[in-house]
Amino acid sequence: MHPALWISKTGLDAQQTNVSVISNNLANASTVGYKKSRAVFEDLLYQTINQPGGRSSQNTKMPSGLMIGAGAKVIATQKNHDQGNVQTTDNAFDLMVDGRGFFEILMPDGTTAYTRNGQFGLNDEGTIVTPGAGYPLQPEIQVPEDAQSFTVGEDGEVSVRLPGQTDSQVIGQITITDFVNPSGLEPRGQNLYLETGASGAPQNGIASENGLGAIRQGSLETSNVNVTEELVNLIEAQRVYEMNSKVISTVDQMLTFATQQL
Amino acid sequence: MDQLLYISMTGAKQNMHSLAVRGNNLANANTTGFKADLENARSMQAFGPGMPSRVFAMTERPTQNFTDGLLKTTGRDLDVAIKGEGWISVQDKDGNEALSRNGNFTISAAGVLQTMQGQAVLGNQDAPIIIPLPVEKLEINEDGTIEIRPEGAPADALEEVNRIKLSKPFAGELTKGDDGLFRATNGQPFQPDATVELVKGALEGSNVNPVQEMTHMISMQRQFEMQIKMMKAAEENEKATNSLLRLS
Repeated sequence: MHPALWISKTGLDAQQTNVSVISNNLANASTVGYKKSRAVFEDLLYQTINQPGGRSSQNTKMPSGLMIGAGAKVIATQKNHDQGNVQTTDNAFDLMVDGRGFFEILMPDGTTAYTRNGQFGLNDEGTIVTPGAGYPLQPEIQVPEDAQSFTVGEDGEVSVRLPGQTDSQVIGQITITDFVNPSGLEPRGQNLYLETGASGAPQNGIASENGLGAIRQGSLETSNVNVTEELVNLIEAQRVYEMNSKVISTVDQMLTFATQQL
Repeated sequence: MDQLLYISMTGAKQNMHSLAVRGNNLANANTTGFKADLENARSMQAFGPGMPSRVFAMTERPTQNFTDGLLKTTGRDLDVAIKGEGWISVQDKDGNEALSRNGNFTISAAGVLQTMQGQAVLGNQDAPIIIPLPVEKLEINEDGTIEIRPEGAPADALEEVNRIKLSKPFAGELTKGDDGLFRATNGQPFQPDATVELVKGALEGSNVNPVQEMTHMISMQRQFEMQIKMMKAAEENEKATNSLLRLS
């Protein structure tokens, strides 16, 4: 059948994926610690119909040939790890990484996941855990039951004041993990990321040292989705989709014309 | 048989090819750094004995539209666009130098600066650019130099590590390969050009003009219909000849 039908089909497919990526960004516009994605497009292989430089006669060569591209596709979705906005909540268990780095979370299967979402809470044993699933923060920190106040320093030092004491007591240290290429991390939902071959090995360190971000207590990092930008992208994707479907209907009309007339 | 039928058929077939070129442009209306393909038709003579009436049509893709695409700001450190003329040198899958306008870079786990398609970006001495990891901040300057701040270094300790090879060959000397990258038609290496400027935190969109492509598409459609009409006319002529010769 006509190649243009398939070429435009790849265009439709690519734009459909693009709309999915954009709508996922919009759906997560108020997810704490969410990092926006964008679709990366690539043109597909070109098919050579007439080779440039081919002979047109015994002594002459064709100056140019005919190569038809096979369309477009989405080759990757790229996470943008720019910092989101700061939202002050004044909740002692709300932490945010100001700068590079992730909190380390222990998954139920024993593996480690990473997150930028610092909306922590305590479980029934007093362990600091993630808000939804209750996975413990690493290194694990136990907050005593009778703690009067809970303070996290910029460097991640956790201290509490116990009743009847005037001085705070250090109970643990929250560390920050960074990756060479955060865009290479694998998002797995629940605001968690997993290490991959592309992200590089995790580099664990003390917050606000060696280029790692500082920990801010009482604040959250909002999603870095820019709603206006996403809406503009959505309009663009819709129009490109429409134009590609126009090509399909044009080819269809041409083939109809040919079959009916001949 | 009547030659008219075959001549119209090549016309219709070549119109279909043109339409495929335009369709590919529209499919890539959103592809970063894409350059729209141009299409034109050429007459191909096939003279034989008798009257020289057989001139077939042939569709060609002579070159690309090299005008700049619109810049989109992304704010990402590893996104660059080229201001005006110029090209970024990358390494294709055979290890040869090829040119691209797509400045959407990433750094692999081994520290190689590469495009999203996985082609290494070339720097000094035409070698792939290796970023000494770990880095805290990476700046690609407007002249293509790459400055990094190693992890833990003070804020003013930017050090230059390499420079992206930017060149400005004449557009007429370039051919688009089947992977969408550009290469020199004469096979000569590209010379670095210090006048090429980059825009930081931006990407160049596709330079496809959708309205123009759609207009071309409509005109192709009408031409195609005319060719079909010619075939129909050939058929009717044939029918008339047959009925004339029929013995009543």
